[in-house]
Amino acid sequence: MKAGLRGTLQRLRLRDRVPPRAWRVAGVGAVNLFAWALLAVYLLPVAYMVVTAFVPTEQLSDRNAPWYPARIRTFAYQGEQYRLYEVPLPGGTRSLAMIAPGTFSSDFLDPQDPAAGTISYTGDWHALQPVYQFHPVLDSFAVLFGAVQFPRMLVSTLLLVLIGEIGVLVSSVLVAYGFARFPLPGGELLFYVLIATILIPDKVTSIPTYFFYINTLDWHGTIFPLVVHLYFGNAVYIFLLRQNFRSLPVELEESAMLDGAGPLRRLWTIVLPQSWPVVITISLLHFFFTWNEARQASLYLSSNAAFMPVSFGVQVYQSRVPIQNVIQASSLLVLILPVIVLFVAQRFFLRGVIVTGLEKRRGL
Amino acid sequence: MTSHPIAKPRPAARRRPPRQARHKRLWGLLLVTPWLLGLLLFKLVPILASLSFSLTDFFLLTPNEVDFVWFDNYLNVLRDDKTWAALLGTLQLAAWILPLQTGASMLLATLLSSKRLWLKDTLRVLFFLPSIIPSAAATFMWQGFIRPGSGWLYTLILGPLGLGDLIRISSRSPTSGLIVLASLWTIGPGMLIILGAMQGVESEIYEAAAMDGAGWLRRFFSMTLPMVSPAVFFSLVLNLTAVFGGAILLDRGRSFNSNLSSYDNLVYYVLFRTFRLGEASSLAWLFFVLVMILVVILFWSARYWVYYPDRENGS
Repeated sequence: MKAGLRGTLQRLRLRDRVPPRAWRVAGVGAVNLFAWALLAVYLLPVAYMVVTAFVPTEQLSDRNAPWYPARIRTFAYQGEQYRLYEVPLPGGTRSLAMIAPGTFSSDFLDPQDPAAGTISYTGDWHALQPVYQFHPVLDSFAVLFGAVQFPRMLVSTLLLVLIGEIGVLVSSVLVAYGFARFPLPGGELLFYVLIATILIPDKVTSIPTYFFYINTLDWHGTIFPLVVHLYFGNAVYIFLLRQNFRSLPVELEESAMLDGAGPLRRLWTIVLPQSWPVVITISLLHFFFTWNEARQASLYLSSNAAFMPVSFGVQVYQSRVPIQNVIQASSLLVLILPVIVLFVAQRFFLRGVIVTGLEKRRGL
Repeated sequence: MTSHPIAKPRPAARRRPPRQARHKRLWGLLLVTPWLLGLLLFKLVPILASLSFSLTDFFLLTPNEVDFVWFDNYLNVLRDDKTWAALLGTLQLAAWILPLQTGASMLLATLLSSKRLWLKDTLRVLFFLPSIIPSAAATFMWQGFIRPGSGWLYTLILGPLGLGDLIRISSRSPTSGLIVLASLWTIGPGMLIILGAMQGVESEIYEAAAMDGAGWLRRFFSMTLPMVSPAVFFSLVLNLTAVFGGAILLDRGRSFNSNLSSYDNLVYYVLFRTFRLGEASSLAWLFFVLVMILVVILFWSARYWVYYPDRENGS
């Protein structure tokens, strides 16, 4: 196949016939076009969600409705609203307002020229295609905000993010510094244990942990099960930080040590100022995780109606509501903050994931 | 592997008294203490606890009457067809998802590192975007998107193509198809890591190869692929852990009422519907052993297809 394709291409001698400049332009055009087309397909479900969130509820049961939020165009005539339909007439299809629907024939009026009198159409008007106009509404958001206490859930989630973030950042940074710069008993072995813990499926630890939190500590309805373990560091974050710390030159720290600076002081004044891209990356990773997390919240917080994180609360609501536009509106609501954060912090974040990934590669 | 850069002999370091070395070791231990405690409390003890639970007839409603039944739970779950069906379903899902994710992230990374592409940063963020969508919201999005009749898949793509019937055929197994499709939405971190590795490959090597007459296909398979194979391996590990429910780089959380795999569903069913903690623990332990075997195989296979330049020349 390869030889055949290449042979054909060579026989065509495109490269010789097409001027190099045009060849280059065509290449650039093709790559860019392909990328944006692929993106459009990739993000199509997101577009579906955004569009559907603004669709009026009546439109959901309308078979003829277009894909965008719309309503049937109407025409006001003598104090009444009349719907517009595409009416096939001998002189061509025209958009007319239906003033008197009938089973076998209906009367229509031309909105452009109502004085011309009624136009009669013979046939079932149900078969006519209505005329739609673009009409996004906030109905679904009104329903949503009426049913879900979004502001309170937002406060709960941000509190959860804050409490967890402090714990996981402080502990992970300390532990990672220990791994990066200090001789440890067991040496490399301890580091491999760290990597191994990342690969353990959560099923095997979650059952006893659940039992312990609920029965022994009686933590049902509290946020402790969601945050306490974060104060002992997170293996993935420790890993990323450790790789980053080790890539820093050690000379500055050594001279600070000779000046009498203790380990914590060196970490705070020398290591951390050089590591903020990774610190930002892991705090964002943790923000995304906490924002999106619903399983833990459903296990431990379901009895506590006052403290409900956004994604759990919205999911509970979504699973009860069968209306598509409200479901998609609530997805949009859950999504909006992480997307804003991603766009604001993209420069650090994407860079951080790339860099930490490369560091990680060296470590493994 | 090269160890500490600190190991360079320096006069000051050599004269350091042993007291300072001990001091240093103490500090190291002190710094990692939180993690060691966490390892004990949240990993080792729970793993051993679930092992011991799995050997008992632990019933959640009568936690005070627990007897050892040894391997009865294991024999029961191994004899149960439900276990094998769930296990097979999960492995099948992984067999679909992992190659698809790896291939897609490599393709996307290649596209996004193309020299001819404009607005690379914008495209990168936009392609990354689905990876931060809460998995619950993603599920609802996909469900709405593929709904026969009103979803865009039907009205905008399959309907106009005259393939409207296709969706009715495929909707026989909607969830697994949905999960496989939606798994393409989690490739962000892995894709970025491969992308980073591709940018690290020096362009001079490419130009030299192109001069020698290597076509792009050849260049991709014999140059790019080996050079980025560590990154591919790493993203494969990430995706594998995600599929089997370990910790992952970008955890989007899980929806509370739908599970990724059928095995998860089975464990949750046994735990929260029948309350047989012992049996659920034995299921979890079986899975743990299986995943660890898979991980060991994966890491062992790495020596045959992952290329480490610094390991090749000596050391």
